[in-house]
Amino acid sequence: MMSEAQISALTGLYPLLIPEMLLVIGACVLFLGGTYRAGRNRWSGFALATLIVCALVLLVQIQPPRLTGLTGLFTTPLLFDPLAQLTRMLAVVSGIVFVLLSWHELPPRQTADHHACLLLIVAGTGLVGAANDLVSMFVALELVSIPTYILLYLPRHDEAAQEAALKYFMLSILSSALTLFGFSYLFGLAGTTNIAGILQVLYRHHAGSAELATTAAMAQIALVMIVSGLGFRITAVPFHFYAPDVYQGTSTSGAALLAYIPKIAGFAALLRVLGFVIPDGVVVVRGRLLGMALSDQVPILLWFLAVVSMSLGNLLALLQDNLKRLLAYSSVAHAGYMLVALASAPYLAGQNNGGVIALLYYLIAYGAMTVGLFAVIVMLHTPERPIETVDDLAGLSRSHPGVALAVAILCFSLIGIPLTAGFTGKLFVFFGAMSVSGSLGTLYTVLALIGFLNAGIGGWYYLRIVAVMYLRTAVKPVEAQPTRPGLAALAVCLVVTIGAGVPPGLNYVVDSMRRTAPAPLGLSIERLQAQR
Amino acid sequence: MSDVASYLWLIPTLPLLGAAVIAALGPTMLRERSHLPCIGAAAASCLLSLLALLAVRASDGVTTVIYGPWFEAGNVAVYYSMRADGLTAIMLVMITFIGALIATYSIGYMHRDPGYPRFFASFSLFLAFMTGLVLANNFILLYACWEGVGLCSYLLIGFWFAKPAAAAAARKAFLVTRIGDVGMFIGILLLWYYFGHGTRSLEYDRVFDLAREGLARGSFDPYVLLMICLLLLAGAVGKSAQFPLHVWLPDAMEGPSPVSALIHAATMVTAGVYLVARCTPLFALAPLAQETVAVLGASTMLLAALIALTQTDLKRVLAYSTLSQLGYMFLGLGCGLREQNLVTFAVFAAIFHLFTHAFFKALLFLSAGSVMHAMGNVIDMRRFSGLRQVLPTTHWTFFCGAFALAGLPPMSGFWSKDEIIAAAYFAGQHSSLYQILFAMAVLTAGLTSFYTFRAYFMTFWGELKVPPEAYAHAHGGRGAEPAPAAHAHAAEQPTPHQAEPHSHDQVHESPPVMTVPLMVLAIGAVFVGLVLGPTHLFQHFLDDHWMKPVFAEQLLRPGEHHAGFFLLALTIGVAVGGTLLAYWMYVLKPAVAAELARRAPAVYELSRNRFYIDELYDFFVIKPLTALAHLLRVLDFYLVDGLVNLAGNLPGFLGTFLRPVQNGLVQFYALLMILGMTGIMVAVLLR
Repeated sequence: MMSEAQISALTGLYPLLIPEMLLVIGACVLFLGGTYRAGRNRWSGFALATLIVCALVLLVQIQPPRLTGLTGLFTTPLLFDPLAQLTRMLAVVSGIVFVLLSWHELPPRQTADHHACLLLIVAGTGLVGAANDLVSMFVALELVSIPTYILLYLPRHDEAAQEAALKYFMLSILSSALTLFGFSYLFGLAGTTNIAGILQVLYRHHAGSAELATTAAMAQIALVMIVSGLGFRITAVPFHFYAPDVYQGTSTSGAALLAYIPKIAGFAALLRVLGFVIPDGVVVVRGRLLGMALSDQVPILLWFLAVVSMSLGNLLALLQDNLKRLLAYSSVAHAGYMLVALASAPYLAGQNNGGVIALLYYLIAYGAMTVGLFAVIVMLHTPERPIETVDDLAGLSRSHPGVALAVAILCFSLIGIPLTAGFTGKLFVFFGAMSVSGSLGTLYTVLALIGFLNAGIGGWYYLRIVAVMYLRTAVKPVEAQPTRPGLAALAVCLVVTIGAGVPPGLNYVVDSMRRTAPAPLGLSIERLQAQR
Repeated sequence: MSDVASYLWLIPTLPLLGAAVIAALGPTMLRERSHLPCIGAAAASCLLSLLALLAVRASDGVTTVIYGPWFEAGNVAVYYSMRADGLTAIMLVMITFIGALIATYSIGYMHRDPGYPRFFASFSLFLAFMTGLVLANNFILLYACWEGVGLCSYLLIGFWFAKPAAAAAARKAFLVTRIGDVGMFIGILLLWYYFGHGTRSLEYDRVFDLAREGLARGSFDPYVLLMICLLLLAGAVGKSAQFPLHVWLPDAMEGPSPVSALIHAATMVTAGVYLVARCTPLFALAPLAQETVAVLGASTMLLAALIALTQTDLKRVLAYSTLSQLGYMFLGLGCGLREQNLVTFAVFAAIFHLFTHAFFKALLFLSAGSVMHAMGNVIDMRRFSGLRQVLPTTHWTFFCGAFALAGLPPMSGFWSKDEIIAAAYFAGQHSSLYQILFAMAVLTAGLTSFYTFRAYFMTFWGELKVPPEAYAHAHGGRGAEPAPAAHAHAAEQPTPHQAEPHSHDQVHESPPVMTVPLMVLAIGAVFVGLVLGPTHLFQHFLDDHWMKPVFAEQLLRPGEHHAGFFLLALTIGVAVGGTLLAYWMYVLKPAVAAELARRAPAVYELSRNRFYIDELYDFFVIKPLTALAHLLRVLDFYLVDGLVNLAGNLPGFLGTFLRPVQNGLVQFYALLMILGMTGIMVAVLLR
């Protein structure tokens, strides 16, 4: 039964949901229209226009009206705080880039269906960031997953693509089941599905108190289940196994999508459910650290996941010749770096640009540089002269000097060379981890050192790409001419990679991150430190 | 005061833009007009600096501006923060004014050099870094600019990089100053460690306040402060070429003369003095550090003066005199003893000498450059003489500069050097160490006037003698570059003998674009001291707009310092004595000098060979290091390469073990996921 307050909270949300509604309507038009007419430019253009309108609406609504009263917070299924707005904007902008990127790769007959799925995925991703209820969060996560299955299955005449889609489908369902299992425990624990409510219940007890101890075991099971389920989406080891096979099997634009969109959704969900970003209105008892709502073992768990993800991702990436497999392992490694940020977040609480700020910054940086590389592969790949392995890029500096330079910049950013977003991101992540003090200081210093070591290993295989492009000559030069939409997608990625890496763009991005992860209510940084 | 903030950042930015424009367009579009952006930027910066000076004068304290964050990492936040106070304003005006003049002079001097745009690009870049260095309000920004000027110095010393001597000199300068810079960087890291936490990390005033409070409360170890001061001093010693890191400066004269004038006489080498002066609130708390400053300064002062006595290369004489004068400044700074209420007096004396020295030393170098220009790049004083007949303007400007350097009243050098000697005198009233330093300072004053006028008389007096290269230069007009073509040209002349009377018409005075800046600087060298010294304008300005707002109460107590008639008479007497001796030895009885060298060969050789310090370094530092390098190369080849290859192969090797797990079976993947999850679950629950 819904109470009066819940109903009014729901109806009040409609105006704020206009972007998602637009996306869903756009998807319906595409599904239906696609059956009447095929056409690459028509439907791509339509999807692009829908996304741009969405972005504009989001810009207008960038600061939605605040919830009145605490009842609103503890009943509303969706919460449009800065984190939500950031996630939605990120999703829409990535959607635009993905439309541009896939423009010429898709066969005209599949364009409408593909973009319809894409619009739904974008809507789902945005809603994950806005979810304030376990149910709405799960629905939003499935709104990302289910269209993804269809999207991956679209090139159905290709056996490799079929296999990839099936693998993803199976494992994704498994991960969703794990997540849901964890959610159900949380519901049992708190008696509500409202995330703000759950966090309020969990943060109400003092650290080490008897009340907290009684809930500990259940909360820990929930924690492990949720982290495992969401770990699949962010390709954390040991939930990453699908990534190389699926990336390699599916279309390049599909791989690009898989490399980035689930990461946004996964990390946004982790931030919300584990209580790294708490809604304005949840009161945290003194002495409790953010992100440790479910268990005080959250940092250790994430520490472990970060180490194995970074190390395994980089080690296996070293062995890859296939570009998409290489990027898959690189995606695992970068998930590890982001987990470093998340693991150190409870002890930083937004200071020093570490923790959540570093994670969000790195998420943006990672998206720009990785999707940029995929955009290049899409553009230059032709059936006659495929771009499958690293060696296929040989001689690119001569045949396509501009594109080669762009790839070099993106690779430098992935390595973490200064003046790029990748560098600044790593700086924030690792320095954040190093500035954790107290009894766990050594542990985090070790974490940062492992991170540096991994960044060094990572340098090897990214530099190999650059070296092949600039130092090797091709037996058969790359002939494909860059397409305009592809170049536009690449340009967006480059602008973000460089723009977010150097001031003033850097300062702008960091400021918006700060707004997203403000210091917890009433707990200034000094007080947090004093409590330790 | 916000109006200062609105243009302060332009002072370094304009030359930076100038450098960028020249670097981008110089070789293709600007070519022979490459000086325009540089001079324009320098002049505009000079104007803005004057405005800033007036604004500082009108205000009652220090203006600090933050132009936004530079970087934040860990617990440190560093900003683009600048300050406008008395010291900065004076340095700015000096740098940009002299910089603009020397840039103008360079038009003539660098004329037709193939690297013309490169010269002005580096020059402009230098001005940007140098103004940034004095404007910086925190140690990190200071250090960045500090390295920036070092880079420009390297670029400009090695400007004629095809000449092996120039390339070697550039490398030497870079490496030797680097030794000091490492110390300085460690000092800054220590400051960071102790005071760097929180916002506005490492801003001067904050660091000084924290250090003072920490000492007063006993929470900050005085030995750490001493360590920090000594490390900062190491940087200053390297940059300002003080003993024992002075060896790079004389070699740096391989660069074009305007560079010697601007970077290696007037501005960059005074950065060390500036740093120590800026950190006076720290140094004043560490008396031992101050004594070190004074002793190093005095040693350099005397040593360099002794070396300068016998050098025959005109520019090297000036280079050693620069060392010596910088030594004076350090001595002045080192005399700022807190117990004797000497801080303000001594620091003022050092900065005043820095200011006047910039004028007359730039003037001397430019005049020497003018001589060199006319003599076809010959700078050995034994090969020319009597030049006042052919280079009348250069003769007079050099004379003004020499008069000022010798410290003869009423030239500018007299007023400032006298203050430093007075500071040493007062410091010596309570300490026997400073009595010795005072004696050294007086002795050096005599030596200074002697070697200065020795150079002057050898160059401009006596029988007219001109080296053959000068005619080649006059004919060929190849500009300042030491071109082999010019020498070949000289060799073709049938009898290139100096005594040919008709040839002297061809030795020409430098063009007006070179002589006018000389005259302006000459006026400065003559009058700056007279206007600012006895009137105490300079002292009051520094007092009111720098020391009073910044220094702690205890440093500001004015002492009773009255330079007696005795002191004045002593300094004048010594300077005049040195001058007269030089006149006697090099004009009246030219044979005496040679006779003297013959009678005391050991002393003469010691001075001529610069006390063998370069050779000592070569034997004790460079040779062992080279040997070590050879050893390491062997080790590197066999041991390290092996390890690196191992490390390079190891990740791949590990990876091959992990590879079979990725077998492509979806049920296997699901199993692994569940196993992984179970493992994590067990670990979390059992913990």
